[in-house]
Amino acid sequence: MDCDETRVLLHGHLDGELDLATDLEVQRHIEQCPRCVTEYESLRAIRTRLKDEDLRFEARAELRERIRREIAASPQTRSATKRSIGYQAQRAPWVQSAIRFAVPMAIGAMLALIIAPRTMRRSFDQQIADEVVASHVRSLMVGHLMDVASTDQHTVKPWFNGKLDFSPSVNDFAKDGFPLVGGRLDYIDGRAVAALVYRHGKHIINVFMWPSAGTGMSTQSVGTERGYNAEQLTVGGMNCWVVSDLNQRELESFAGLLRSKG
Amino acid sequence: MPDERKAVDFERTFLPCMDAAYNLARWLVHDTQDAEDVVQEAYLRAFRFAATFRGGDPRAWILAIVRNTAFTWLKRNRGSDPPTEFDEKVHGAIEEHGLEADTVRKADNAMIRAALDELADEFREVIVMRDIEGLSYKEIADAADLPIGTVMSRLARARGKLARSLQQRIAKER
Repeated sequence: MDCDETRVLLHGHLDGELDLATDLEVQRHIEQCPRCVTEYESLRAIRTRLKDEDLRFEARAELRERIRREIAASPQTRSATKRSIGYQAQRAPWVQSAIRFAVPMAIGAMLALIIAPRTMRRSFDQQIADEVVASHVRSLMVGHLMDVASTDQHTVKPWFNGKLDFSPSVNDFAKDGFPLVGGRLDYIDGRAVAALVYRHGKHIINVFMWPSAGTGMSTQSVGTERGYNAEQLTVGGMNCWVVSDLNQRELESFAGLLRSKG
Repeated sequence: MPDERKAVDFERTFLPCMDAAYNLARWLVHDTQDAEDVVQEAYLRAFRFAATFRGGDPRAWILAIVRNTAFTWLKRNRGSDPPTEFDEKVHGAIEEHGLEADTVRKADNAMIRAALDELADEFREVIVMRDIEGLSYKEIADAADLPIGTVMSRLARARGKLARSLQQRIAKER
């Protein structure tokens, strides 16, 4: 691989968007080419500045409200409401129809206020659970279990440098029967995450890790999904999802090991 | 009331993407008021065509509409052409900028904003989507209607130009 080829690929490398083989080739080229390493370092510096400088414009709350109102008042929404009110009015006196209409709406709205955040929370977790299980299955299927194969945590951890905007905590649990076998980049919940691969007997365990928005510790067993067990825990500011075909009990003892390092 | 549910579903799916929508619009049209108008128009269009949303990433879907709305708006109000005819090959190799990492650290916020503001739309938008909004190449490809292979070369060019512009600005400051 020469410098001209590398010039464009550097960006894919920086963004963690290359396939493993190309990514390694680029890495090898950078390591031995002073010009490309300078270029790469400056690209990294620019990216860091773009991230840190708070260049994002945020929408004002008024805009959000304005758009909500416009949608509610748009012909598609309004015509439907008018039709159904007219229909009610023909069958019943005005007051009755108002009660028929308003009371269930009010109750519905109250329930929605109470229930919506919970169901949304639940479906949000469920969505991530679906994603991590799908990712786990894919990792076993296409021979793309690992981007970096190593039982040494000091090899695996630095491998993530520059590929992620955070540094995952990598520990080997070989003496507890869960040896680290490698790591790879993955993509969950719309972001690049670290995937650490562990083995227990013949079973493979994927640990997906990315910075948590919340603080403190929490564990949540998300349960079985297509025959795989998934567990979510927050350790040392990291949101971790553990997925495997191990049984629930063994998976929990593995989660306990992760937690002990938090 | 299927249509009212439609409005609720729409809001639940797409209102969380409004910051991303506004950010892209703001960087494309450069003005708060205009960006708000573009986002509002884009959302109403999106609502009309919500039935054509076939799942997938709502952010990339709404950004595609925001982007089209913004370019239509720019053409109507400022007579600029949308960057659809851009051809990677014609525009040749990526410029060398020779900018060093240590120099980048000297650039301040205003300099970075100005450099980004002055980039051509097709370059500014990919940097905004990737480096500020954090979209993947696939999402950028969907939002900007580019082949996925083009996203990386477009980004390479865009960052090269940004680096050169920063380089010049820093040199001037000295």
